[in-house]
Amino acid sequence: MGAMALWMQISSGSETPIYLQLVEQISSAIAKGELRTGDKLPAVRVLAAELVINPNTVARAYTILEQSGLVTTKTGSGTYVSDPKLRHADAAEINLLAERMDTLITRAVNLGLDRGALTALFEKRLERFAGRLDKGKAENG
Amino acid sequence: MAEIVLETKGLTKYYGAQPALDHLDLRIPRGCICGFLGRNGAGKTTAIKMMLGLLEPTAGSASLLGCDSTDLTPAIRQRIGYVTEGHRLFRWMTIARLEKFQQAFFPEQWDEKFFADMIEYFELSKKQKIKHLSNGQRAQVSLALALAPNPELLIMDDPTLGLDAVIRRQFLEGMIELITRQGRTVLFSSHILADVERVADRIVVIDKGVLRADCSLEQFRASVRKVVLYFDDSVPADVELEGLLHCRRSERQLELTLVGVDEAEVAAWAKRAGTERYDFVEMNLEDQFIEFTAPPHRRRLFQWEEARP
Repeated sequence: MGAMALWMQISSGSETPIYLQLVEQISSAIAKGELRTGDKLPAVRVLAAELVINPNTVARAYTILEQSGLVTTKTGSGTYVSDPKLRHADAAEINLLAERMDTLITRAVNLGLDRGALTALFEKRLERFAGRLDKGKAENG
Repeated sequence: MAEIVLETKGLTKYYGAQPALDHLDLRIPRGCICGFLGRNGAGKTTAIKMMLGLLEPTAGSASLLGCDSTDLTPAIRQRIGYVTEGHRLFRWMTIARLEKFQQAFFPEQWDEKFFADMIEYFELSKKQKIKHLSNGQRAQVSLALALAPNPELLIMDDPTLGLDAVIRRQFLEGMIELITRQGRTVLFSSHILADVERVADRIVVIDKGVLRADCSLEQFRASVRKVVLYFDDSVPADVELEGLLHCRRSERQLELTLVGVDEAEVAAWAKRAGTERYDFVEMNLEDQFIEFTAPPHRRRLFQWEEARP
């Protein structure tokens, strides 16, 4: 459990609020398979002390992860990475994702990338998540 | 609703004709770390001193743990820790002597082992005299003295002023350590916004003696926003938006800093003003604080001649 937080880096003074930094880093670790189904997240107080951040901030991040179905909290036991089959992506979340993609596409357009270059880049980045992406839906890509 | 452990009602202090603090109303619930923010001279130290009963209010009142600040009993004082600005400690004492002195005020709950562990962790010796310590070491001693009685309410006036990053982090660790114990509350003032963001879950902002914000840190982060609007021709002359803090304009762009205005309101106003193109610009806490407390219509100190339309 002590090693768990090693890959987490909190930067204060960032544009991204700390609870969102936590959400993003834990989500990313799950997406990349660094955290697997059934892995236990550190207790709120433990992680707060380790990262020197307010325990309520950690609790807030865990709640958001739970709402998005990435983790489940078992009362009195802890917070665990949930089974991907039980996760759900609702329309609102997919919308949010699309909006964030727009931000990135805007940047790419401003950098002068064309459709081909951007698609190639996207495919290349997808490779990093191949393990997780191809397990669920074999027909994709 | 959590119990209120620190409350002020119309707390006011005049020095001569000028109010240093003007009708401060605060209610801080148990269990939070509250960052007390304001520019130099905003009235933070004045407020803190009145909360602790060290300064008499001109009007209004303050209470800690339900007890009026002008009448704090020894029993209540034992449950409160206070760290002064500048860590003024008796210079002629050794750390051991200072511990005994401080311990006398907290006879029931002084944690000797905790104090000894902290002194050791800071690589100090109890035999050292305060006058031979550096500023940073004095700050470490004062942190250990403040935490050893395990206070229910810890009030610190700019405790990390002038300290290096490592010692500042030790103060943050100390606050987190205290708050993870059940029912502890911390109020601290600071100008290091990155530190405040790390540990505080609530902030109070005062400006020129007047309360400007008292909310969760998250709420503050979400409500002070900057938006840039793009126009085809010229930018509108007037911006009639409730919650407008600052407005800067260039030929075809308008940059607005807003507080408590949601995206739908921005979209509706933009449409009325003749554009549908706008971007929200993300800000960090420090930028938000500057925008929130800087005088309205401020000009840059250094400015190139503006391009003429």
